[in-house]
Amino acid sequence: MAKLELSGVKKSYGSTDVLKGIDLTVEDGEFVAFVGPSGCGKSTLLRLICGLDEISEGTMAIDGHIVNDVPPSKRGIAMVFQSYALYPHMSVADNMGYALRLAGTPNGEIRQRVQAAARILRLDAYLDRKPRQLSGGQRQRVAIGRAIVREPKVFLFDEPLSNLDAALRVDMRIEIARMKERLGTTMVYVTHDQVEAMTLADKIVVLNAGKVEQIGSPLELYNKPGNRFVAGFIGSPKMNFLKLGKGCGNGSYAVAGGSVTLPVFAHAPVEIGIRPEHLTLAERGKNTLSGVVAMTEHLGSDTYAYVALNGAEETVVARIPGEKTFRPRQEVGVEVDASVIHAFAADGTAITSSGNARVAA
Amino acid sequence: MFDLSSRQAKTIFCVALAFIGFFLFFPIYWLVISSIKGNTELYRAVPTPVPLAPTLEHFVKALTAGKLPMYLGNSLIVSGASACLVTILALYAGYSFAKYRYAGRQPVMLFMLSAQMFPFGLLLISLYPMMSNLGLLDTRLGLILSYIVFAMPVSTYMLYSYFSQVPDELIDAARADGASDLRIFHTIVLPISVPPVVTVFLYSFMWSWNDLLYSMTLIVSDDKRTIGPGLLLTYLNEVNSDWGGAMAASLLASAPIVIAFMFLQRYFIQGVTAGAIK
Repeated sequence: MAKLELSGVKKSYGSTDVLKGIDLTVEDGEFVAFVGPSGCGKSTLLRLICGLDEISEGTMAIDGHIVNDVPPSKRGIAMVFQSYALYPHMSVADNMGYALRLAGTPNGEIRQRVQAAARILRLDAYLDRKPRQLSGGQRQRVAIGRAIVREPKVFLFDEPLSNLDAALRVDMRIEIARMKERLGTTMVYVTHDQVEAMTLADKIVVLNAGKVEQIGSPLELYNKPGNRFVAGFIGSPKMNFLKLGKGCGNGSYAVAGGSVTLPVFAHAPVEIGIRPEHLTLAERGKNTLSGVVAMTEHLGSDTYAYVALNGAEETVVARIPGEKTFRPRQEVGVEVDASVIHAFAADGTAITSSGNARVAA
Repeated sequence: MFDLSSRQAKTIFCVALAFIGFFLFFPIYWLVISSIKGNTELYRAVPTPVPLAPTLEHFVKALTAGKLPMYLGNSLIVSGASACLVTILALYAGYSFAKYRYAGRQPVMLFMLSAQMFPFGLLLISLYPMMSNLGLLDTRLGLILSYIVFAMPVSTYMLYSYFSQVPDELIDAARADGASDLRIFHTIVLPISVPPVVTVFLYSFMWSWNDLLYSMTLIVSDDKRTIGPGLLLTYLNEVNSDWGGAMAASLLASAPIVIAFMFLQRYFIQGVTAGAIK
């Protein structure tokens, strides 16, 4: 059980700043996911928390104790690596008990704790095997077991599922969710897969270029993204962005051959964002934008329709029910659910509105 | 284009291979059959391609009458010790070059590799006064230390390239588990490095075993002489005519290396790191 606090944490390699001042609190028992594009510094941040790399500036505290100079093994944390990093010459039991052996735990207790962890992860039958005799999913469970055995205050996961195939990934995701319920330990999870982040995390930290873009619950980030980056990063397919044309007063702007009337904002919006599920394809009408179907992707339950809007450079994607079909080049009207339009200012920050927007042809 | 799968091409390849094979293996074949021919057969004007009456008399004589066993023993001690020394030094040096970042790492490694560019004879010129000043001339220790020159640079480089491929995550995992740097090296990295260690050991053993020059120069007493100079001084002189004995002794001298390669060759191929990652 532990609370993790980072304040002003920076990391530089030579003159390159990888992390530019991270402030973050992870509450006791909370499951926090770090997401962000490749190179945003999420894995570096995890390595700093683990103690594998030194913090250049700022402080990190676990349960109120500053641990900047505490070696990894004394921090009460355990890390699960992307490549599993199992010791190839040791049996599963020895892999899991290695940290305890180093800490001088009596043999009997090591055996007991290894067996208890193996039971949780259904590895009882494999304790004498070497890692190379295990399947990918089993290796992943051993890697998690190695962390569990240490009974850490904080679990760190570095993209633990990215080496597994799609079906296994879903299984392991559920397994990790169960583990979270069962252990109730503080967990920090790095992933580039937002489905993992959305489904597992209590709180998501979106990182970009070494800075925190937004922190919030999965639905908060989805429904109220703080800026254009978060809006575009969270959600799949991505949010559609449309540039606004000249305003004609009364909060009315030209957009993609039509117009949009937005409530009055403090700052002038330059772009609006619409999630794919808030677009519907319909007959052309007064309250629709018009365009031509460029391509459709049928996923069974859903269909993604890519529509090239008339009078706009952008192609928008609409998530529509799976049974609907459209021919390529078919002319369609695009209806916008105006109650959930996101508006962004020139610097990318989201601007919130009090009233509803309206779209017209 | 020349069709590589045509009958013509195959014929040319076969002839070329046979030609190369003849030059490679005929001397060895001649060595073997000469060592098992009796003296009368050996000195016939027209040599027999296959021994008419095979005999082991030369081997028996070489092993009982001469000083061959002593030379072999000396070689075993000196080569074994120097191979151990080279392997141990190269292990730590290679690991340090591969896994630590510090100023001067690259230049030091290049400097070390550059030793390989000089002819060994040249290095002997500076080694000789060193050994003389240290009082190590005509001692086994002196020879053992000098032999490091042969294999150390390449051995270090071989282990450096192997260790570079050991995943960093494996080392990080051990560090997170609470292992010190030395313990990580000894309990995690070394156990998965058996193949390269065996390769380096054999490589350096072979260099010192095959040496003639250093041993001839640095060792004077007959009782410390190694197999190379031993064979030379016993059989290749003006008065010797014991060709059968020379052949048998040469075979015996090459045996340890050949046998070692036969038993340990699987290590060159086998990788034990499977299952470490992915």
